[in-house]
Amino acid sequence: MSEVPNTAIAPPTEACAKCEVYRAANLKKLGVNPGQWDHIVALAGNPNTGKSTVFNALTGLRQHTGNWPGKTVTRAEGGFAYADRRYKIVDLPGTYSLLSTSLDEEVARDFILFGQPDVTVVVVDASRLERNLNLALQVLEITDRAVLCLNLMDEARRHGLTVDDRQLARDLGIPVVPTSARSGEGLPALLQAIADVATGRVVCRPHRLEQEPPAVRAALNELVAQIRRMHPDLPNARWVAMRLLGGDENLAAALQRGELGGQRAQAAVAS
Amino acid sequence: MSLPFIVSLVIIAALLLWPDSGLVARWRQARVRAARVRREDALKHVLKCEVNGELPTLNSVAGALHIRDGAAADLIADMEAHGLISIGEGRIRLRQPGRELALHIVRAHRLWESYLAEQTGVAEAKWHQLAERKEHQLSPEDADALAARLGNPLHDPHGDTIPAAGADLPADTGRPFSTAPLDTPVLIAHIEDEPEAVYRQIQALGLRPGMKACIFAKEDGCIRFWADGREHNLTPILANNLAYVPLVGTTREDLFDEEFLSELHPGERARMLGLSAACRGAERRRLLDLGFVPGTMIEVELVSPSGDPIAYRVRGTVIALRREQARLIRIGNRETIPTEAVAS
Amino acid sequence: MASIQTGVAAVSATDIIENARRLRRETAADVHEVLVEAIYADAARIADRAVARPGRPARPTLDRTLDRILTSRVWGFPIMLLLFALMFWLTIIGSNVPSGMIADQLVGRLWPVLRELATSLGLPWWLKGLLVDGVYLSTAWVISVMLPPMAIFFPLFTLLEDFGYLPRVAFNLDRAFKQVGAHGKQSMSLMMGFGCNAAGVVATRIIDSPRERLLAILTNNFSLCNGRWPTQILIATIFIGSLVPAQWAGLVSAGAVTAVALLGIGFTLAVSWALSRTVLRGEVSAFSLELPPYRPPRFWQTLYTSLIDRTIFVLWRAIVFAVPAGAVIWLSANLNVGGVSLAQYLMHYADPVGVLLGLNGVILLAYIIAIPANEIVIPTVLMLTVLVTGSQGIGEGAGVMFELDSLDATRSLLEAGGWTLLTAVNLMLFSLLHNPCSTTIYTIYKETGSAKWTAVATLLPLALGFAVTFAVATVWRWAS
Repeated sequence: MSEVPNTAIAPPTEACAKCEVYRAANLKKLGVNPGQWDHIVALAGNPNTGKSTVFNALTGLRQHTGNWPGKTVTRAEGGFAYADRRYKIVDLPGTYSLLSTSLDEEVARDFILFGQPDVTVVVVDASRLERNLNLALQVLEITDRAVLCLNLMDEARRHGLTVDDRQLARDLGIPVVPTSARSGEGLPALLQAIADVATGRVVCRPHRLEQEPPAVRAALNELVAQIRRMHPDLPNARWVAMRLLGGDENLAAALQRGELGGQRAQAAVAS
Repeated sequence: MSLPFIVSLVIIAALLLWPDSGLVARWRQARVRAARVRREDALKHVLKCEVNGELPTLNSVAGALHIRDGAAADLIADMEAHGLISIGEGRIRLRQPGRELALHIVRAHRLWESYLAEQTGVAEAKWHQLAERKEHQLSPEDADALAARLGNPLHDPHGDTIPAAGADLPADTGRPFSTAPLDTPVLIAHIEDEPEAVYRQIQALGLRPGMKACIFAKEDGCIRFWADGREHNLTPILANNLAYVPLVGTTREDLFDEEFLSELHPGERARMLGLSAACRGAERRRLLDLGFVPGTMIEVELVSPSGDPIAYRVRGTVIALRREQARLIRIGNRETIPTEAVAS
Repeated sequence: MASIQTGVAAVSATDIIENARRLRRETAADVHEVLVEAIYADAARIADRAVARPGRPARPTLDRTLDRILTSRVWGFPIMLLLFALMFWLTIIGSNVPSGMIADQLVGRLWPVLRELATSLGLPWWLKGLLVDGVYLSTAWVISVMLPPMAIFFPLFTLLEDFGYLPRVAFNLDRAFKQVGAHGKQSMSLMMGFGCNAAGVVATRIIDSPRERLLAILTNNFSLCNGRWPTQILIATIFIGSLVPAQWAGLVSAGAVTAVALLGIGFTLAVSWALSRTVLRGEVSAFSLELPPYRPPRFWQTLYTSLIDRTIFVLWRAIVFAVPAGAVIWLSANLNVGGVSLAQYLMHYADPVGVLLGLNGVILLAYIIAIPANEIVIPTVLMLTVLVTGSQGIGEGAGVMFELDSLDATRSLLEAGGWTLLTAVNLMLFSLLHNPCSTTIYTIYKETGSAKWTAVATLLPLALGFAVTFAVATVWRWAS
């Protein structure tokens, strides 16, 4: 089914110029109207990480968002085709977290949880990795199909930082692609990584919180056990338990309607 | 009779008698509403008495509602007739429908206060008064929707438990703050929001439920105590509007040595220890999400031309906070940043 | 309990939710807090392993130095003023020539062609007048006056925005806004308002607190928008620049315009203060603002996106409203009631009020007609003045908007209409303090969803305008 040779989780080197050309030629920017699509890609990230630049580079659109946080509270959609597959890509509002009750975070959270994206691309600022990983780790608690786009590598270099993307990929258990979306660097590799995860060629083993916070461990374990009994395949039972413990009524309602289990069924068919 | 006269007469009659929106109809509706509000307030009073082990009486009902004894007697008779309460052996007891209604009113009241605190800029002293009105307008479904929107808060801004839908009301905890032991840190558990003038004074001092406080001197007409890195003074009467619970594991020295981010100078850095209890709701969550979590190193990055706000470097990002917010962030291990590091 | 039961379907969603609620009440810790702490701890560990920092992880010296200067106690405000003055100056200077060129093409060349075309098509005089002299001409005017300044101002603004300067402005101004009970981010929507009030109103979305957002919306009209600059510049040049020797005229008139713009900021703060102590009483909400790292903006990309996203978008809305306005102007000048045109009839009634305010009936009527777009105020004023004074040989005839070639001709026409220095000063004030244009009113309605607040936003500046011009006129007459 796939003409593109399988690649490992670690992204290919930029030196493979021929490869780049081949891949880039495979990208068709579909603008706002993807028409029918095979996969849905969600784009999440902190404000000021160049998320919109990645979105524009992939779709050929020219969404403008200023260099200040919280400017967009809605999500933009666009599309692209890559290696014979059509993708719908959704640019979520830039947020620091997915845990609060603010409108933009709710939009982002609900889409990752209920929008059933086949891949969630988390765009992070390579020069401010620690802060950005906060959101990435939250996303990994929710979904097990994700790609980390290590953006603004040019800026990290300017700051004199080197980021070991292989180490990061091992720790996070998802493909990590270094990019500089402004100059187009690394985008072909990002496309490949998105395709790999979307088609199931690469299976993620996402990082989950290593230590359950002791203060809530007992309650959490009890709930997780209960949720697992009801939905044995749920990939994010602990996230659901944490949200329920945090009083998230939207999630409780979704559980009541059985939408959480349905999500898994859908994902199982796709892979 | 002239035509204009007749026309005016008809118009006046219509204004008065129009069904549902005429003055007479409105007056009637207002009366019905007022009666309902009185009934619900009385039920709330009886519930609070029950929970706190006090005896609701005709006098206490009249006092709580600011009505005359005769009116209170009518009210109680009316509630009994509607099956909301029972009166036996001279005691007023809630019956199931009455209890449910009273619980709903308390729940709606405390939820609305939480809403006002978190999502509006309404002045703190106004919360109680506004909630007193709003509690009668919210249906149980409205209250549930509001709770979901607020992330199902467990406590209202005064530190009181918000009863879950259909759950019982726990008794008020805590004892009057004026009776707290000397030189022993305690936890402020509740701040009474009535009367408004008193509450306004307490609130102006920046005191909030959940704060640690330690009385270090009780002088004539003045209680001096330490909370959130500052000294506060209250008269015993004001202090009785605060309720405290004992606190274990914190010594007097711990409390007095507390430092806050607002005290950090340019060229210094410190480790964050925690957020003050006065920081709550959405503001608290926002600060946590921005990386203000215990253990984080914080340094002063920039001071705005007028001295406030100040921008802090937190986990690789520069975040500006107003002084009031910086005052809510507890820090320790304050140190000067080595000069060559600043220069580089 | 479920654990005692055997079988698969032992737990229902309701059980889980009920259990979660119970556990939530029993757990003393705040789950959100505990969770965020745990995640940040993991993030720090992972980042530490992946990132190698040669030496100390400092921000580049340049960024730090730049921040120190731009927010410094001494230089912060002067640099801010200078930057924005420069931006306005570039816009004013730069848009002169293209404005004239576009007007040449659209009015000088295309308009006669269209008139010919209409005549050759055999359209009745009134339809031809309505379409070509009314609708077309007003649209052409709006394009030639609005497009060049917006095409310069918006990219400049976007460049500053992409560079990361705006959060620093908010940072510098926050104290002032806090003291009047408003949000620090209101300064950003205020800046946007200098381009277009409708865009400024939309930009208030970055403010979370509803009360403070409303403050920002209600006061946005005090930011002098693009459409009002032509009025300010023209009147300042004619009446105020001429008070001083010619070599100072440019500087003084530019100073007058800047003064009016600063007065607008003053009104923003004053009205915010008054509102937050009366109808919009409340506490100042928390303010946390990230100061993002500076990024060199990409020039051409910015130019393109700001043209598409902002300039064309705003221009389109202006045109949509200018079309009916052109028709109304033409109709009011050509519809006769008892031998007097509707415009003259209305002016006759508006004149006493206008004179009381140190203005005149012409200006008031022009502002009523120009509600859709501020840009058409000056041409409407000139056209109506011709109508009143009955000047022969100037202008194009009843209901035709036009621009006079030389400032001297404009001056003599206006003086023939009874204009004095007082009229000019008060027109500049009234141009700052009057109802927002209909595009902005519509945007305010859409953003607030409330007819009440839309009405307040519309009438409050108007009332202030009446009060201020009346006060100025009274004092002026008393003093002279």
